[in-house]
Amino acid sequence: MAKTVKIKVFRYDPDIDKEPHYETYEVPYSEGLMILDALNYIYENIDGTLAYRWACRAGQCGSCAVIINGKPKIACRAALEKEEDVTITPLLQFPVIKDLVVDLERGLRRIERMRPYVERVKKAPRPEIMTAEAIEPIKEFRECIECWACISACPAVAEAWQEFSGPMYHAKFARLQFDERDVEDRVKMAFIEGLYKCTTCRACVEVCPKEIEIPEKAIEKMRAIAVRTGLGPLPGHAEYTSRAIKFGRTVDKIGTSLLEMVQTGYAARVKNPKDTVGYFPGCLTDYRLQEVGKAIIEILTKNNIEVIVPSEFTCCGSPLIRAGLVDEAKENLVPKNVKILEGLGVKTVVTGCPGCGMTIKRNYPELIGRELGFETMHVSQYLARNVDLNVNDMTSVNVKATIHNPCHLNRGLGAPDDLENVMSKIPGVKLVEMEEADRCCGAGGGVRAGERSISMMMARRKGEFIINSGAEACVTQCPFCYIQIRDILKQLGYEQIKVYDLADLMVKSYRGEKP
Amino acid sequence: MAEGGVNAALGNVDPEDSWESHFKDTVKGGAWINNQKLVETLTKEAPERILDLEEYGALFDRTPEGKIVQRPFGKQSYRRTCYASDRTGHEFMATLVEEVRRRDIDVMEEIFVTNLLKTNNTVVGAFGIEYKTGDFLVFRAKATVLAAGGTGRIYKTTSNAAQDTGDGYAMGYRAGASLIDMEMFQFHPTGMVFPESACGRLVTEGVRGEGGILTNINNERFMKRYDPRLELAGRDVVARANATEILEGRGTPHGGVYLNISHVDAHIIEDRLKTMLRQFLDTGVDIRKEPMEVAPTAHHLMGGVMVNEEVATDLKGLWAAGEVTGGIQGGNRLGGNALAGTQVFGKIAGENAAKYAQNVEKPSIDLAQVKKEIKHAQSSLERRKGIRPVQVRTKLANLMWDKVGIFRTGKELQEAISEIGRMQMEEIPRLYATGKGTRYNHEWIKTFEVENMVLTAEMMARAALMREETRGAHYRKDLPKTDNKNWFVNIVIKQENGKMMFKKVPVVMTLLKQGA
Repeated sequence: MAKTVKIKVFRYDPDIDKEPHYETYEVPYSEGLMILDALNYIYENIDGTLAYRWACRAGQCGSCAVIINGKPKIACRAALEKEEDVTITPLLQFPVIKDLVVDLERGLRRIERMRPYVERVKKAPRPEIMTAEAIEPIKEFRECIECWACISACPAVAEAWQEFSGPMYHAKFARLQFDERDVEDRVKMAFIEGLYKCTTCRACVEVCPKEIEIPEKAIEKMRAIAVRTGLGPLPGHAEYTSRAIKFGRTVDKIGTSLLEMVQTGYAARVKNPKDTVGYFPGCLTDYRLQEVGKAIIEILTKNNIEVIVPSEFTCCGSPLIRAGLVDEAKENLVPKNVKILEGLGVKTVVTGCPGCGMTIKRNYPELIGRELGFETMHVSQYLARNVDLNVNDMTSVNVKATIHNPCHLNRGLGAPDDLENVMSKIPGVKLVEMEEADRCCGAGGGVRAGERSISMMMARRKGEFIINSGAEACVTQCPFCYIQIRDILKQLGYEQIKVYDLADLMVKSYRGEKP
Repeated sequence: MAEGGVNAALGNVDPEDSWESHFKDTVKGGAWINNQKLVETLTKEAPERILDLEEYGALFDRTPEGKIVQRPFGKQSYRRTCYASDRTGHEFMATLVEEVRRRDIDVMEEIFVTNLLKTNNTVVGAFGIEYKTGDFLVFRAKATVLAAGGTGRIYKTTSNAAQDTGDGYAMGYRAGASLIDMEMFQFHPTGMVFPESACGRLVTEGVRGEGGILTNINNERFMKRYDPRLELAGRDVVARANATEILEGRGTPHGGVYLNISHVDAHIIEDRLKTMLRQFLDTGVDIRKEPMEVAPTAHHLMGGVMVNEEVATDLKGLWAAGEVTGGIQGGNRLGGNALAGTQVFGKIAGENAAKYAQNVEKPSIDLAQVKKEIKHAQSSLERRKGIRPVQVRTKLANLMWDKVGIFRTGKELQEAISEIGRMQMEEIPRLYATGKGTRYNHEWIKTFEVENMVLTAEMMARAALMREETRGAHYRKDLPKTDNKNWFVNIVIKQENGKMMFKKVPVVMTLLKQGA
């Protein structure tokens, strides 16, 4: 018998049904089958009443977007995996007309209100001269097919669409801002539509059928203009960004810093090391989460990796770049770190902070105009991919834990599975799943500091997912996520749920301590 | 969806290009039966319309001097095809949508128009159904523009979208408009063949424009045997060549031929053929490194509702533009001419309809027609059993592919006509929708589409049987020669007293004498 897959589909006809329900259909599997083919199969062979939209089936019209196992995607380009059963639901944020068909009117009205066209004050010359360089920054945005997947996926939109119009709209603002023909102040419009409410979690990039880099190429580029024109950064960004520029750290020093606690420079910690890496601690680990920094060094050492900690460094620049202070980061911070890190003479630099890692890996080359002389990896990436993990020296930690996957690790550095891969090797970890482990906690992109209320809404949802998972502990590996989750769980009255940086938990396992 | 580009003799890359050259290429490419008045309009006005789009905000790729860049396309004397990577059609749509938003034009989305309404032999609007609610709508209009697109869905393998179901041809016919060149259907030479899910999906002519090479399983560049222009011969020629290679056993394992662009710089592919790159990567093929497998796919109906140079139909109050019209492209359309046509004739249609509307009274609607439409619409909803639209569509699509396809014979066309006749008699009246609700009842709407598809297929098959020669895209295996003595004409179809009538009419010529 031919292989089949089970397709569970959201069904609802508000005229007839008392409530929405699900139907499960069995669809024969063949290689290359797309979700749209499965829906067509159901309509053609099983149930002619199924309502869904499609037109071009070539990824160009944007009409067939639905949510597939929790992720919005255009159905014609979403491959069906052989063994996978899928659940298909309609896009979020829109009222359901029937089954998988939603009413987009609210979203369309909102596009109209943004004056989404090249606005001119003078008649266009014919022909109009525009260089290839001039159109280069816009071309990517022109690919948008208005499929609404990003609007459905965005965690900020989910909390307060009225405050943050969402990725697609900001891509349109950017497209017009960077079009030299358009005379409007699109950055100001974008600012009003929530420019600073994006956490740069990249959920939109993940679901975009055209892979448009909205946070990096639209949001952050417009924030940079907002800063140059005095609109940004927000008051909440002022203190830590100016501190970073002045003192090289976003936070005040309290007590002894990590750099003062550990040996820096070329300090041999292991004999015959398997590899030598540089370690970039970042501000929060140096001044606030020193124990995490120590743990990372200890874990790498336990795995026979020589760790070189630079004797000095400055803030990576992420908090500035995310807030739009790109020029300041470029001038004051980035060159120093490039010199320091390249000076270490290592092939790989690891960070414990995905924000630092993503910034060094993705932003530095653009800012200095060349590739870096080393590879940048998050420590969990490095452990999962480059190290045959020493599990012999680990002891059982005996904890029921759930994972929060940091956005800048998962989507920023492109490492969705590494955290879990490493964690699952620690004896005594009982992993429980939380709903949407990869959903943004609301801390990133300067949102925690600058847009407190929407950040809290995102944090609260994350907190509830953690609580609902039944875990005793939540493990993550990002100082920002860590602090955000720790704080919200306390505030929600769930102090008993411990929050760990993965390094914390792992080092306990090596040391034989109980968490 | 249109991908590769739009033809306009801007002369940005080849300064010697001119509208006259574009005109000549179009008429020759069209196997001489184009209406030359329309071709003149097309080729003269295309450059201005492209600049209009740019004024609205369109973003075409550039030359080093900052002008709109142009690439070679099939059977054209100069590099004439303007593009926005390989998503030119999407760039058009995005731009026009923006312009509609700027001008604050009312748009009603997801309305299915079942028929044009007429009073005193004048078109006075249309009857439609709103998908969202199933409500019936009567549009009372001083002037109406038919812009309903093509009919690729009547074929099993097609590049066309789900909605290209021949509705405009059928509506035009039922309202009494004349249709022309309905036997002339274009198969695009290169559609995807694998996996099954992607079958028919368009592989833009831009691939060949950028240097793509066709080979068969023996690694032979077979186009040498068919046409000196090789891969950039007319679409009719390349489609037949590809089909011949496949039929004669020199095809690839998945039943196509190879189309290779991997010798071109990767960054050019990434920039100018981005959609293709992505579309093949989805299926595990990296076109920067390996060849594509392609085969012909049903793409475009050259024929359609007949219009004059004002793009007025022969029905008062009705204009038409876009693929639904016939006469412009003749027997074979050059790649890049359809997008040009949408802009040139869309503008003329809009302007003429608007001018007309300013000088007429608001028409009255014939209630009897509305009642008839309602009754018809309700019948498929009320029917408890019968035949589902998908069943009829599947049968029709196979039939058309097998018997009214790239290669035709009188015998097979006759068989197709009888089968279509049987469908008209036995199946269309039994069409029904499984669901009885009116809210977004997809299958209910499809009953109308299928009815239109069968009617369109009938016009196509019967015109194809009538044309006893080979010309352009119409290839008769039993009559493989072009017969200029008897068939240098257009076939015009019109409903008279409830019957489908065919007549030969002389080709409209202005500047070019046949064969010149």
